[in-house]
Amino acid sequence: METFYAGLAEILEIDAGKVGPDLDLTKLAWDSLAVVSTIALVDEQFNVMLEGKALSQCQRVSDIEALIAKKKG
Amino acid sequence: MSGIFARIAAVAGYLPAGVLTNRDLAALYPEWSEDKILQKTGIRERRIAGDGETAADLATQAAQKLFTRHAVSPDSIDFVILSTQAPDYILPTSACLIQHRLGLKTSSGALDINLGCSGYVYGLSLAKGLIESGSARRVLLLTADTYSKYIHPLDKSVRTLFGDGATATVVEGVEADAALIGPFVFGTDGAGAENLIVRTGGARQPRTAQSAQEKTDSSGNVRSDDNLFMDGPEIMNFTLTTVPKAATQLMAVAGTTLDTTDLVVLHQANAYMMEALRKKMHIPREKFVVHLEHCGNTVSSTIPLALEKVLEGNEPNRGQRKTMLVGFGVGYSWAGTYATI
Repeated sequence: METFYAGLAEILEIDAGKVGPDLDLTKLAWDSLAVVSTIALVDEQFNVMLEGKALSQCQRVSDIEALIAKKKG
Repeated sequence: MSGIFARIAAVAGYLPAGVLTNRDLAALYPEWSEDKILQKTGIRERRIAGDGETAADLATQAAQKLFTRHAVSPDSIDFVILSTQAPDYILPTSACLIQHRLGLKTSSGALDINLGCSGYVYGLSLAKGLIESGSARRVLLLTADTYSKYIHPLDKSVRTLFGDGATATVVEGVEADAALIGPFVFGTDGAGAENLIVRTGGARQPRTAQSAQEKTDSSGNVRSDDNLFMDGPEIMNFTLTTVPKAATQLMAVAGTTLDTTDLVVLHQANAYMMEALRKKMHIPREKFVVHLEHCGNTVSSTIPLALEKVLEGNEPNRGQRKTMLVGFGVGYSWAGTYATI
């Protein structure tokens, strides 16, 4: 998860140390561009393609992790 | 076996005079800084057509630039193909208007292709077919788009990316030992039509007072049904799923690998999408052509604008570089080929 968190930190433009499962996305720039970039990040690191709509509705990083886990099956 | 094969003889681009900078955009979208726009999109400025300036005007300028710079006689052209999604009229065909404006022979064929970011590669396939079947000797392949006219000024999801522009390419038949353009792979999935669309103005849905009503989406972007809409996440999914597969399929058909490919020119969508594709496809950075900083995503013109840039350099292996071209986008529509340039 370290590299995933580092990638998310870059997308959200915050320090990598601040990214963890409980991070509240609704207080950050979790806009369409961030969602698009996260789709690419997740595809690169987990070889999983997330749906934009479900991803944009995530409120915390743990919600994104749950989507990835569900896709991985 | 030697014979007449189509090749790309010359490419010229034309960008309109209007400039839309990141500073202009950052002033409109306070949550995005100039630096953030550049870093994410890879684009510094986009060129924007004037109020009365159409895609056909830009295409005409590109063709005239090509005729002058590369000493091509308009009389030597016997077919003109225009790829655009911004025709001057519902009818007649813009390529017919351009035939007259450029003073091309009335014995020339002319047709439009209504495709976006895949249009150039489809155009090359038609040009090759015309030439290698003996139906034409010199084809003028034009690309021109003015998406800015479809974009709502307050829709940052598309206004940060798209620029207007046009290109002209001469495709001609030459004696050669092997094909200089091709093979081709094509693909279409109309199920994605809704994800990159201008809904109104065609026969399906006329423009009305109601269709012009503006709405604000969850990311704060404003648009009406008369404007361009792009579902960014869906387009990213489509691209990451489709483009690497198409490239693999192309390499299998062509009997090539990335090692035996000199350059890769993908549709220049934006920096984050291109970088995601480059990584996923394991394309070495030095083979990967990026050309969008000063023009943005010019739709059908991105690949030929990048080719013009490549051809400006006078490298010793000029005319021998095996270059992979892949266009993809609105439709969904995609196509890939090789061109030796």
